[in-house]
Amino acid sequence: MNKLAAKYLRPSQIPTKACHGCGIGMIENWLLQALDEMGLKQEDVVFGTGIGCVGRQTFATWGGDNFGATHGRALAVATGLKIAQPDKKYLIVVGDGDAAAIGTSHLIHAARRNLGVTVICEDNMGYESTGGQFSPTTPAGYVTNSSPYGMAEPSFDPCDVVKAAGATFVAETTATQWHQTVKIVKKALENDGFSFVHVRFPCNENFGAYALGTRDTLKNLEWIWEHTQGRTVDGKETDFTWETGIKHDASNSRPEFSKILRDMNERVRAKMTEKGSGDGGH
Amino acid sequence: MAVTEIALTERLVAPWAEWAKQYREGRRLLEAGTYALTEGAIAAGCRVFAGYPITPATDIAEYMSKRLPQVGGYYMQAEDELAGMHMCAGASLGGLKAMTATSGPGFTLMHDAYGWAITNEIPLVVVDAMRVGPISGITGAPGQGEFYVARYCSHGGNIETIVLSPNSVQESFWLTIDAFNLAERFRTVVTILTDQVISDMFEDLFLPRDYAELGGIVVPRRHNLTMPFYPLNSDAMDVPPNIVGKGTGVCVSAYTHTEEGYDIEAMEAQWAQTYRLVNKIRHHREEILRYEAVGLEDAEVIAVAYGAASRTVKTGVLEARRRGVKAGFLRLISLWPFADELFGRDARYLVCELNYDGQLVREVMRAAPDKRKVHFMGKSGELHTVAEVAAALEGVARRDRIPELPYIWTEVR
Repeated sequence: MNKLAAKYLRPSQIPTKACHGCGIGMIENWLLQALDEMGLKQEDVVFGTGIGCVGRQTFATWGGDNFGATHGRALAVATGLKIAQPDKKYLIVVGDGDAAAIGTSHLIHAARRNLGVTVICEDNMGYESTGGQFSPTTPAGYVTNSSPYGMAEPSFDPCDVVKAAGATFVAETTATQWHQTVKIVKKALENDGFSFVHVRFPCNENFGAYALGTRDTLKNLEWIWEHTQGRTVDGKETDFTWETGIKHDASNSRPEFSKILRDMNERVRAKMTEKGSGDGGH
Repeated sequence: MAVTEIALTERLVAPWAEWAKQYREGRRLLEAGTYALTEGAIAAGCRVFAGYPITPATDIAEYMSKRLPQVGGYYMQAEDELAGMHMCAGASLGGLKAMTATSGPGFTLMHDAYGWAITNEIPLVVVDAMRVGPISGITGAPGQGEFYVARYCSHGGNIETIVLSPNSVQESFWLTIDAFNLAERFRTVVTILTDQVISDMFEDLFLPRDYAELGGIVVPRRHNLTMPFYPLNSDAMDVPPNIVGKGTGVCVSAYTHTEEGYDIEAMEAQWAQTYRLVNKIRHHREEILRYEAVGLEDAEVIAVAYGAASRTVKTGVLEARRRGVKAGFLRLISLWPFADELFGRDARYLVCELNYDGQLVREVMRAAPDKRKVHFMGKSGELHTVAEVAAALEGVARRDRIPELPYIWTEVR
């Protein structure tokens, strides 16, 4: 086990159940690096996950307090938790199904409220743990096990959605951009508000095999890298481009949700004391 | 008509039979069931409410939005009911007592959160103010369609659930405190099945002077800070709830779990978890049983009801007594676990409920010695009248059948 894993993770759950060559472990290691560089301790962070590849492979790997919500509901649970335990950092690690499909309404409203959590959306562009079906982030036209003739729907960018909803920090990165990802995660965690980090990573077993025609990890990583550059390694233009980096940074520009509620309570209670009615009044 | 005095034994088996005697100083108000329920929650120490407005539970949300900030609590309006219950589960995991309230259409959306909260042994209270269905039905009419839904509030089986139902404004107050207590003691979700009538109606309400003085009856939140977080193969009650955010290393998830709480795919763990989720409740049924009974001792026909329906049914029983029918009254307050032990007598039963399909009656048929002696009297969207109940009791007692009455269904099969 590497030093970061030994410091932060739960030994009984490492190695994870992830497939060979999966990007989830690598990204988690980068998250640990960000926490370590920020000087955060295990007890400073609550680790929340959802369902699917990302939920299943990361849940309970964290050595501290963990929750693995039902599919898509991690942010709803985190909203309640943040109210009760406002001083913790929340690392909510979810997949594209959780964030961009079944749980999108919770994502939008957590962003609108400026809930103080950092969402890491690890996106393998489909439902890979159920065998490789398309999701709202699968590029249009690509072949998956539920789009044998090419995905008929247009895809969408969750970064645009959370930005429009009011997220105070939004960034996009990929499993091919180590230093950028660590830098972004640190900035996300420094925001006392809603931070969203979208990280694309390759799935070799399903998306790679069916959409890209290869189970070769390096080739699948290369395909992602090419699409961040807009050019293939042999100089051709790619079919589309992902712009990565910080997309919106309004960190600490407006009050965090649980603080808004606490402040309101204080105002209400101060008024009550003025009027001289106590706790048990009704 | 001559007035006949009838001496009948009345029995209320519920903790608030004592509580009401213990706390006599306070305020007398004319208030709604939703108001009483809200005050019960505040008195029980509820500090988080997250929900989505829906008739006839909306007033609970509104009262909560006013009351919670006054006592240092938090009101959150969720994007939907399933978010609302998950928010409550998160808050309870973080150490705060929490409640949500809804009606049928929202209740069906909560099943996701129900399974999660029950499996992870998170204390919560969920209120379902039932209205007539299916689906949106008539928003301003009472129903009793969630008798089984509240029991089977999650998929996958392997759970027992606790469901309580009040039948007055005053009882809505005490019963809500009781629901919070049971949630804490059993580390589970307790459902309050109230209905449109009990929620919306105004009645006398006594509220104790200072909720801080309720320490003797309110079970406070405690925190389990050490392993095992999920005692396996254990039916123990009063295990303190787990807390996330104190660095204990607890894991909470949707999966079959180990004692630490992380996921495992092993049959032994599955069986051990099920043993706990089922038997922590089954083995302590006597701690949950709550009911009201009138004149059961010599009753030849026993009317069975709960919630709003029980009010006119009880008066119907008294009317039948006046007519010389040896009628008894049984009101279930704890609906689940089902009170099989109350149906040991080989009497005739008349089960009155607010649906045409027959739900409560099926459990009575199962629990009673002779299901052929169990009669069904269903109404949809409105209460039974006293005259209907009295006529039915007379019919069952004298001719073993309910006379034909308009808008009443008697077929179960």
